[in-house]
Amino acid sequence: METFLAALFSGTSRGAIYALVALGLVIVWRGAGIVNFAQMGQAMFSTYIASTMITNGYSYWLGFIVAILVGAAMGALLDILVMRPLSNKKKTELLSSDSMRAAVPVIASLGILGVLQALAGIIWAAEERGFPAPYPQEGFTVANNVMPFTSFDVFVISIVLATLLATTLFFKKTGVGLAMRATALNAEVARLSGIRTNFTRSLSWGFSGAASSLAGLLITPTSNLSPNTLDLVLIIGFTAAVVGGLDSPAGSVIGGFLVGMVISFVSFYDTPEDVFLSILSVLLLVLIIRPRGIFGAKDARRV
Amino acid sequence: MRAVSKVKQHSIARKSLRRTLFFIVLILLAGSTFDAYNQAQLALVLILFIGVLSVTLLTGISGQLSLGQGALMAVGGYCMALLITNKGYSIWVAIPLAIVGAAIAGLLLGISAARLSGPYLAGTTLVIALAIPTLSNRFMSVLKGDEGLPVDVGYPPNWFTKLFGEPSYEQWQLYVALPFAAIALFFASNILLSRTGRMWRAIRDNETAASLSGVNFSRQKIFVFVVSATFAGLSGALYGLRGLVGPSVYPVSLSLTLLTAAVLGGIRSIFGAFIGTVIVVFLPDWIEAVLGSFELSEQVSNFMPALISSLLLILTVVINPAGVAGTHLHKHK
Repeated sequence: METFLAALFSGTSRGAIYALVALGLVIVWRGAGIVNFAQMGQAMFSTYIASTMITNGYSYWLGFIVAILVGAAMGALLDILVMRPLSNKKKTELLSSDSMRAAVPVIASLGILGVLQALAGIIWAAEERGFPAPYPQEGFTVANNVMPFTSFDVFVISIVLATLLATTLFFKKTGVGLAMRATALNAEVARLSGIRTNFTRSLSWGFSGAASSLAGLLITPTSNLSPNTLDLVLIIGFTAAVVGGLDSPAGSVIGGFLVGMVISFVSFYDTPEDVFLSILSVLLLVLIIRPRGIFGAKDARRV
Repeated sequence: MRAVSKVKQHSIARKSLRRTLFFIVLILLAGSTFDAYNQAQLALVLILFIGVLSVTLLTGISGQLSLGQGALMAVGGYCMALLITNKGYSIWVAIPLAIVGAAIAGLLLGISAARLSGPYLAGTTLVIALAIPTLSNRFMSVLKGDEGLPVDVGYPPNWFTKLFGEPSYEQWQLYVALPFAAIALFFASNILLSRTGRMWRAIRDNETAASLSGVNFSRQKIFVFVVSATFAGLSGALYGLRGLVGPSVYPVSLSLTLLTAAVLGGIRSIFGAFIGTVIVVFLPDWIEAVLGSFELSEQVSNFMPALISSLLLILTVVINPAGVAGTHLHKHK
């Protein structure tokens, strides 16, 4: 029973973070039709900036806010510098086919990931370092039993849920959100009806950058920080996004919690080493049974 | 009709053979002028060249982006190492059998991945690249976990030393890799020039149009994976022969290195694959030669090659997506 509770709680708080990572991937996928494999590289970079600020005596919250802003700015910048020129090159022969149009941005994002990791290694050295949590990471005591649930977990879950709610409201209720949804649906038509699609695309990248930086800030207190630590989080987030449906923000949340639970139960009841095999099985299972994910829209193929 | 196609096949084979012979002569000439360190580097180029060809065929020719070639290399490497250490086979028997093993893995991968495309395929293969090496800890007793299985190229047979004299260890590495690289080059060139290559390019350019013209694209997609896996498995087996077959030898970054090499050189051509491999293998040395006079700290110089190659990757994709060999693009189209 105790293991079960521990697995359940750890699955919930980890799942919340994976949901956030998946949300970041989904936003860029919807806004720009790209799966951004550099996403957690960006998060790693901005978390390092927060870490440097905090060790230099600034308050945790200042570092926290700066990291999220840096993440947003970096996302938008990457779109403007790399992805936008790439999408304007559609006329060239190499990008003339659908398959390559999907593959080339992935390659570019891997290049960005490589640059960010190498830069982080050059600036901050490759050793692992800890990252502080704003709230204590000791379990609550209920009737003299230490529960496997900390006030930091409460903080993580509530801030993630607040972010998810805010994102949903933003997409549903604001004009900019509507413009972004229109661009995701059909960029050509959106442009013709006066939406600045370049702007909304960069905005998606910025949002995604902020969300993933937040995920980086929330996960590093338990996983430590090094140029490569967040790679695994990206893989898990990708699985979560595919499980929920790459084009569905609500699906990404469900997918995040689901994958979080799977990972947590596998590592509590089996060994942590089997986590990747279990992720792979979940991913393959979903792709075979329901390739568009639990909440994914039915994709229509036009000839 | 038959006769015409036969003549054509001959001319294709002859063209591939000419390329292969040119390649062998070039490598032998370069190898004879290099010192021991660069000979070992050249052997590494040959080994990775085979792996990069697997990316070229899969991604460049048939348009399926895989980030999991390192996992297929690991399959090839482990198959070979198990046959050598447990069964006592020589490398000349173990390597072909390892290729068969990798081809079977490629078939399984192809069957499960053929319906995926673009980022879905990339992400799934990335997870596979991460998950496969962890199998070595799952089957500890056979695969020996993180320690891995030590193997090496061994010593040249007697007839070889009688004919050519005693080669150094680095030279022998080169001579073992060369015939395999030459065979890989020959096959890749044949595929690219033949009907199969045209079918794969048709699938890449437009699946619907391809299937309307009579290409069974789901079967061809699986076939691409099998062929690509044989190349990757061969490359992985030779890569393991450099000393060790273990999870640390086939990390995810290996898959990304292959992709980087293929893109830098030019993802659609064999020549590009070779140029890209040379760039990726020798880049650290070149950077050291340039930056050596600046007395940079270890922290900086360790990450310089990764930084430069990633920057080159981005620049190539954005500015010159056809890669170094891009001028050949129209000819090989």
